[in-house]
Amino acid sequence: MLKFFTINTDAELVCFLIALICLIKDKAIIWRCMIWFLALTISVEMVGIYLKKPYLDYVKKLENAQKLHIHLNIDPVHSNIWIYNILLVFQAVFISLMFKDLLKKHTNSKPLIVTGLVVLCVLYIYEVTIHGIFEKHNITTIAMSVMFIIYSLYCYYCLLKEDAYHNLSIFAPFWLVTGILFFYFGRIASLLFFQILETYDPKVVITYPIYSTLIIILYGCWSYSFICRRWLMKRSEI
Amino acid sequence: MVNEEIRNIVIATTAIFLIAPAFIVAYIFVYNRRKKRHIEEKTQMKLTFEAELAKTQLEVQEQTMQTIGADLHDNIGQLLSLTSLTLNSVEVDNPKKARQKVDAAIDLTLRSIKEMRLLGKLLQGDQLMAMGLSEAVRYEIGWLEKSGKYKITYIEDGEAPAENNPDKDLIIFRVLQEILNNVIKHAEATRITISLAYLAGSLQLQIKDNGKGFDIEKLTADERGMGLHNIQKRAGIIDGEVSVVSKPGKGASITIVVPYP
Repeated sequence: MLKFFTINTDAELVCFLIALICLIKDKAIIWRCMIWFLALTISVEMVGIYLKKPYLDYVKKLENAQKLHIHLNIDPVHSNIWIYNILLVFQAVFISLMFKDLLKKHTNSKPLIVTGLVVLCVLYIYEVTIHGIFEKHNITTIAMSVMFIIYSLYCYYCLLKEDAYHNLSIFAPFWLVTGILFFYFGRIASLLFFQILETYDPKVVITYPIYSTLIIILYGCWSYSFICRRWLMKRSEI
Repeated sequence: MVNEEIRNIVIATTAIFLIAPAFIVAYIFVYNRRKKRHIEEKTQMKLTFEAELAKTQLEVQEQTMQTIGADLHDNIGQLLSLTSLTLNSVEVDNPKKARQKVDAAIDLTLRSIKEMRLLGKLLQGDQLMAMGLSEAVRYEIGWLEKSGKYKITYIEDGEAPAENNPDKDLIIFRVLQEILNNVIKHAEATRITISLAYLAGSLQLQIKDNGKGFDIEKLTADERGMGLHNIQKRAGIIDGEVSVVSKPGKGASITIVVPYP
């Protein structure tokens, strides 16, 4: 039986439900789109879990055949990485647009965001050309993480530079950015080690507990951000 | 075993990578709290400034009313009494003498009208400040000179900037009034020198007298509180600096330097 409800999917589902309650009537399109983005993320996670099972079975069969020195004549089964590679495109576009919206009060962020997206697009196409879509797009993911870290720090800088005071403990954009910063900063280490980790045991996902912790931090911050936006922040600040 | 080691390295690296954003977030919170305190202080300062400005306006008005009251009693009142006495003493039977007395009464009435006109100008205190600080200072000196008790020298240096600052003008003018009041009440001076200098980015007002002077160190808190403290407080709210130089028997000199406009 497939285990669709993991720590990751649970965190995503809770965040999605909170977003649905808090942002469904939000005036800003980008915040309303968050609901769709989270729905897409959960769907991809579910499909990823569904695709993982046949791949693990295939790997097991291959290992057994290797042990018994038998040559198996079966069609290769790809891992579920390709679906996450597709999700990567939506992640890059949506979070970049979110940053564009957050920065628009302070500066004209369009050139920065567009340049970032063009760089990611080039890297993505490069990786598709090099190893196709069935292998993890690690370079694009690392580049995207670095970009989001820079955007987050730039958001903080703008917030500090601003004359107006915001109560940060209930300031939705701050918690949204904080979630992104923690997630992508923490993830960098795993991404940098990914190549080494992959050469060892593919079945034991070493980074899984780390990834789960980061997912909880990310969606925890985002959920709180949606609650702040819906109930705690003043109308004038939104 | 190797997997275990790698796993530990990755977890440790991730933990280190998470410490950095944690510190950044903590710093943002600390900075934001400071920003809040700074904004609160600025608001408080603005409120204090506005309150002080309103108080100053009231005091300038009070001073004007006092001047008017004194002038009505001492000057115009006397002139009109004299006019009345003169007219009462007119002997209709003696046209030559009567003519002289009527002429004297006319002269007294004209002087009264002149004095009334001057008072009228003083009553329009707001307009006086609108004419600029220099003009307001000249009027103040004019009234003081009329008392005949002081020989006043007024020196004005530099050109007033094209754009003045009415709030600062009002406070500087009130400070001048307070200093002159102190001179009148306590200094027993006969000569007063007032100089107003428009320097680059600042304004310097100096009031010197040849009165009995005082020892600043020996001033009691009450004596200091009566005049000097008020002057320093007023100058302080417009970022001005006050320096007082005085010795017993050698007069006093008070200099105020204010960023201007």
